[in-house]
Amino acid sequence: MTKFSEPKERDVILEVKDLRLEFHTYRGNVKALNGVNLKLYKKEVLGLVGESGCGKSVTALTIIDLLPENAEILGGQILLTGENLLKKSKDEIRTIRAKRVATVFQDPMTFLNPVLTVETQLQETFTLDKEGLKQAVEFQSTKGKNITYLDFLSLEEQSSRKSDDKKVSRGEIKRIVKALCIDVLRLVKLADPERILSQYPFELSGGMRQRAMIAMALARRPAFFIADEITTALDVTVQAQILHLLRELKDKIGSTTLMITHDLAVAAEIADRIAVMYGGHVVEATETREIFRSPLHPYTILLMRAIPNVTRLVESLETIPGTVPDMIDPPPGCPFHPRCPYGMVKCVEKFPGTTHFDGGHEVACYLYGD
Amino acid sequence: MKSVGVEARTGEWAARWADFRYTLYLLRRNPLVLAGGLIALFFIGLSLSANYIVNPQLATPAGYPDFEGNYPFVRSYSWNEGHLINWGPGIRLYDGPEFFYLGTDGWGRDLLTMIILAIPVDIENAVIITVAAAAFGTLLGAFAGYVGGVVDEAVLRITDIFLAFPGLVLALVFAAMFGRSIPTLRLAILLVWWPPYVRLMRGQILSEKEKTYVEALRALGAGHLRILFRHIIPNAIYPILVQATLDFGGVVLTFSALMFLGFSPTPSLPELGNLAADGYQHIFEAPWLIVFPGLVMLLIALAFNLVGDGLRDVLDPRLRR
Amino acid sequence: MIFVLLGVSIIIFYLARGFPTGIDPVAPYIHPRMTSEQIAEVRRVHGFDQPIPLQYFYWLSDALRGDFGSTGVWANSRPAMNVFLTSFPFTVQLSVTAIILTVTIGIPLGIISAVKNNKLPDHISRIIALTGYSTPSYWFGFMLQLVFFYYFALWGLPSLPSSGASGMEGAVPRVTGMPVLDGLFAVNIQYTFDALAHLILPAFSLAFISLGFLARIVRASMLEVLRQDYIILARSKGLKERVVIYRHAMKNALIPAVTMTGMFFALLLGGAMITEFVFNWPGVGRLSLLAVFQGDSNFILVYTLVLAVIVVAANLAVDILYVFLDPRIKY
Repeated sequence: MTKFSEPKERDVILEVKDLRLEFHTYRGNVKALNGVNLKLYKKEVLGLVGESGCGKSVTALTIIDLLPENAEILGGQILLTGENLLKKSKDEIRTIRAKRVATVFQDPMTFLNPVLTVETQLQETFTLDKEGLKQAVEFQSTKGKNITYLDFLSLEEQSSRKSDDKKVSRGEIKRIVKALCIDVLRLVKLADPERILSQYPFELSGGMRQRAMIAMALARRPAFFIADEITTALDVTVQAQILHLLRELKDKIGSTTLMITHDLAVAAEIADRIAVMYGGHVVEATETREIFRSPLHPYTILLMRAIPNVTRLVESLETIPGTVPDMIDPPPGCPFHPRCPYGMVKCVEKFPGTTHFDGGHEVACYLYGD
Repeated sequence: MKSVGVEARTGEWAARWADFRYTLYLLRRNPLVLAGGLIALFFIGLSLSANYIVNPQLATPAGYPDFEGNYPFVRSYSWNEGHLINWGPGIRLYDGPEFFYLGTDGWGRDLLTMIILAIPVDIENAVIITVAAAAFGTLLGAFAGYVGGVVDEAVLRITDIFLAFPGLVLALVFAAMFGRSIPTLRLAILLVWWPPYVRLMRGQILSEKEKTYVEALRALGAGHLRILFRHIIPNAIYPILVQATLDFGGVVLTFSALMFLGFSPTPSLPELGNLAADGYQHIFEAPWLIVFPGLVMLLIALAFNLVGDGLRDVLDPRLRR
Repeated sequence: MIFVLLGVSIIIFYLARGFPTGIDPVAPYIHPRMTSEQIAEVRRVHGFDQPIPLQYFYWLSDALRGDFGSTGVWANSRPAMNVFLTSFPFTVQLSVTAIILTVTIGIPLGIISAVKNNKLPDHISRIIALTGYSTPSYWFGFMLQLVFFYYFALWGLPSLPSSGASGMEGAVPRVTGMPVLDGLFAVNIQYTFDALAHLILPAFSLAFISLGFLARIVRASMLEVLRQDYIILARSKGLKERVVIYRHAMKNALIPAVTMTGMFFALLLGGAMITEFVFNWPGVGRLSLLAVFQGDSNFILVYTLVLAVIVVAANLAVDILYVFLDPRIKY
């Protein structure tokens, strides 16, 4: 029944298996994640799309363990290159945040500290990696030229070579950090990086602030990035610029990104693969072109139909009937069934398993299998 | 049209009731607030029933000093020394049946009884003063904020003047000048405590005024007074409530401090500050006279401050779920 | 600001001199053995027989030249301003010490309360803070005296003095008028220690009450800051929690707290009245209490006005400080 075929052999950096999460609130328990399954491959951009409240941001926050106090993880695994993050201690998670997973958030106005300069906020991310900085100093002294960020990146590959315990002076570290700050700001296309370093966030425009946040993420040389609705707070032209920048970075440094957005257009622009979420489940996941060309899950199909087509003349816009489910008391079985035109009795009983198709197309719907 | 109005009203009050229950739920979760609330309720209950628990006549025993302060017996404050008026805690009367749990004061009145009688005096007056100060300040601030312009400026300046008085000076001078009666004291303290409400209410009014629902009300033809009293003030009332609860403790303290300094109408009035004043001269020989009334004072203020503090946390709109 | 001062002075003036129901304004300047003619003469000299607005005018014009009238009983009459200035340094010494104590204890208390919100350290520090805030000032002063002065002596422990600012009056030349500093200037260790010993109890008594207030403010402000988005970002960078709190949160949270401390100083100066009374501290607070009881209008006016000036000045200073602390504010 399941047509199974292996996806192209690529490394999986992050795998989320059957993640379940609840929020305990006054009004009841919000069942935010009900068995989320995700795979993030190396060097790709995975777009996680869905309406507000479907659980996409929550998934990201769970990965880096920045959930509010009333959240409770009920089960599942989060495997980062094989290690289960849910079983790690607080300190280990902190190290992971510092060095392996970097997050860029939605609203650069509120997410940057208003009373600290850009330099302070940027250099603190560099200084978290003392080993790397020492290596960078060595690199600079051996190579003789000033180190660039790209060089800094490449240092990681050679990190197996242990740096000898030569004492590196604080002054040298400071200089290196400053040089790296300037260079990474240049990399995100910020003009006049020296001046920007000394400025405060409120003195920059929205787009500039977002680039600064991206720079702070780059500084950690992470295994992958999480981008949580990073274009939502920007106007369209700036949005386009940031997306362009992300594409460039992807090409230049081969970054892996988990891109969370509610805007299909943004996902279409930049994602290699797209995963669609609804009601705390991932309902469909495949390559971008595939999902636009032949969507399989009823939700995705209706979503595609709802996108206004510029070329065709239509009488009225299509919508998906009904509203997003109440996550405190979600509908049993598949959460989409109240709105689904293809609903069957089976759909009310239990959430369907994932069916895998050729070419890596996955869908969770009884229409295609169990 | 009429039925729609009634329905809307029910919805509005139902929402307010649900809100209120949520507030209670949040308050219950905080152990400190709970403790404070219980203690406060205890004191309120005590103040309401004090006259039934102890005989208020005990405050004016036979041989009570006349107004010039002439005592028919010798006042002295030492332990167990022959024919004495004052005994320490827990000591049996020399040849009488009574047992003084907290000792006596200079006139031989049982301190415990006096404290019980004093609590209603303090709490009543504090309630009156707080409510009056809050009401006056709030109305003034609402008026100033709503009308704006010259009136607003004038009210602000006057408030500034009153805020510039250091400490209790104004209350003291006022009380000193107008004699020692309870209403005077109430007025004196009110003079000191009303300015914060003006600022608070004015700020609230200014921000509410800009909101679109006010514009809508004006478009519907509602008069200014109606808008102010029926809509704006109920929406802006929360910080005032919090401030009033927080101020309550301070008012009690101020009231008793004034009494302590000697502004009591009669020296025998059972009132916590007054009782403490009695012992000021003899603190080291009869410390219980200051220790116990002050302790009770602390508990009352602490209880109301705990509740007010918790209330402030809970009513902060951003902290609510 | 001038308006405020004028308003303050007018109100106090009318209260102090305008109402014969209270204390007769001539009271501090006469003594029982004077004849009624002498009393009338005193009244005339001081201008108490004039209509009030005229009195105010005379007072104001004198005041603008620095003459605030005289205070004190007939025989001891001295210019009011001088009396004030002689005692003022004592109050300043007390208040400054109290502020230092308040800040060093209150701020950490508030921060702990916010960082460990709703857990045990929060509850403990809230109780401490609120107890401080709810304590009657006269009571706490007495408690301290009782324990540290009386009982300590009874139990044979070294005890702290309970009254006055110094036990060795006049042992040291007067430079600033503040015993501790004067002792330092004269390099007289014994004197300085004695002055410090006298200072501890009253300063702590004052501080205990205001540190509760400060801790609450710091707590509220810190809680607000810790909920902000930029704290989430700071945590997501993998920074240690301690760094997040010290570098990111505190600076933002302390800005409102600092503005309060400025106002505090002014309030402490005034509110120290009762503490000074209880500890017999020779500062302006105690003198002002005595002045109120005696109906000494000149001194009350001086006291009120000088302190009103300080309150207004403190507010201004705080506004200026605000510009430096918050980079978003520019003039």
